[in-house]
Amino acid sequence: MLARSSVRGVLTMMIGALQSSVREHSRGASARGFRRSVLFSSAAATVFVGIIGCASITFGAAIVGRTRHVGLNPQPAMELDVLKAKYRRPAFIPFPRENPYTPEKASLGKRLFFDTRLSLSSSQSCASCHSPGFSWGDGLSVGVGHGMVKLGRRSPSIVNTAWATTFMWDGRWESLEEQALDPIQSAGELNMPIERLMDRLASVAGYKLLFAAAFPDEGMNPKTLADAIATYERTVVSDHAPFDAWIEGAEGAIPEQAKRGFVIFNTKGRCASCHEGWSFTNDGFHDIGIPSDDPGRARQLPQITKMNHAFKTPGLREIVRRGPYMHNGSIATLEEVVEHYDQGGIDRPSRSDLIGPLGLTSQEKVDLVAFLSTLTSNAAATTVPVLPR
Amino acid sequence: MPRLALVALSIAGVALGALSAVALVADHTVHQQGRKFSFQSAIIKKGTPLTFVNDDTVPHNVASTTKGNEFDLGSQPPGASTDVTFTEAGEVQVICAIHPRMRMMVSVRD
Repeated sequence: MLARSSVRGVLTMMIGALQSSVREHSRGASARGFRRSVLFSSAAATVFVGIIGCASITFGAAIVGRTRHVGLNPQPAMELDVLKAKYRRPAFIPFPRENPYTPEKASLGKRLFFDTRLSLSSSQSCASCHSPGFSWGDGLSVGVGHGMVKLGRRSPSIVNTAWATTFMWDGRWESLEEQALDPIQSAGELNMPIERLMDRLASVAGYKLLFAAAFPDEGMNPKTLADAIATYERTVVSDHAPFDAWIEGAEGAIPEQAKRGFVIFNTKGRCASCHEGWSFTNDGFHDIGIPSDDPGRARQLPQITKMNHAFKTPGLREIVRRGPYMHNGSIATLEEVVEHYDQGGIDRPSRSDLIGPLGLTSQEKVDLVAFLSTLTSNAAATTVPVLPR
Repeated sequence: MPRLALVALSIAGVALGALSAVALVADHTVHQQGRKFSFQSAIIKKGTPLTFVNDDTVPHNVASTTKGNEFDLGSQPPGASTDVTFTEAGEVQVICAIHPRMRMMVSVRD
């Protein structure tokens, strides 16, 4: 058993080690950055020279100078209580000014979310891939769409999306409202032309009344459809977990092993560099070295090397019930996930500089999994709505 | 609080804001800390280098895909400082490719 003071001591020591590691890393990376800058400047110069008489080449680019190392003040070791405060649950759900919460909108959105009539075949709904029974995923390696055809990526959980910045594994949508209409119309997913869907919903008397109540000035249209679904999705928030009780001061809420795992998560494991904050994600994009041909974020940012094979960092709430893991469901268990990070995955130019062999001990790996297990709640059952006819 | 004090505070706030903008022009440096750029927008003269310093605890990847001023600093580790010189006048969207909340606009003037 590790006493509270020991946990604090280990935390201080590990943060110190991590800072040394980052400084070491910085020196090497500065040299690489300089080489990249020279290469980039050369490339820009080449384009500049080559532009004469060749209108198809993009003219101009910013000039990147050499990278210098600047001294940073060493970060003071963070007290355990200060660190824990960073994981405190927020007091309210944020709703955007352009689509504020109303109970009528959320109620309509819930019905639409669970309604299979949103698909061309009338056999699949949003909830088919984002089921409350699987912590708002589907428990499959990759999603299954129209005609039971497998998709290329795992269905992400929609839990805590109210706090998200970008949506989909490659971050191609910047709002839940934009995102909501994508799978409905996608040929591989619900395969439903939006005009046809609006005609279908307009033929349901109950929906006319619900849209009129939720959007008295706008009525039924693709925008209000998306607004309603997005509003409902923002209400899907992970329940209190044992970890939350510990954060709020109940020392006995999680085992000592999990407390040690929390320290490793924030230091030697480097997990919190990306899985940070109460929902355990900063929405960042990283190539974590998973074997896959999927370009990921590079579909949106093909010019940026580090975006190849990069995917959005998922939150970790309810994580025990959300396997299999990774963007392609290629890792079955949390133990294997920890093993992947300890090994560092495939070393390639796009791999995040935060990913690499960690040198975790067997005990540290067990502690990490014990900690991750405390992030899962005893979720209350979600009622399936009665759908309008 | 007396109304006069509030007015004085407001004027001080506006002045401080103006000074921040001037400070940027003076040292041409954008810091990255706490997964944020130190400025949401900046004005710079074409051909004058703008320095991006990563004084955060994690790598950043400052970049722009704005036509005419494209660049990619790649993974910039904590403690690294890199100059970027914009060659075309106009509005340039600068991002951290890793952290989508990090965005700023650079207005490049002739």
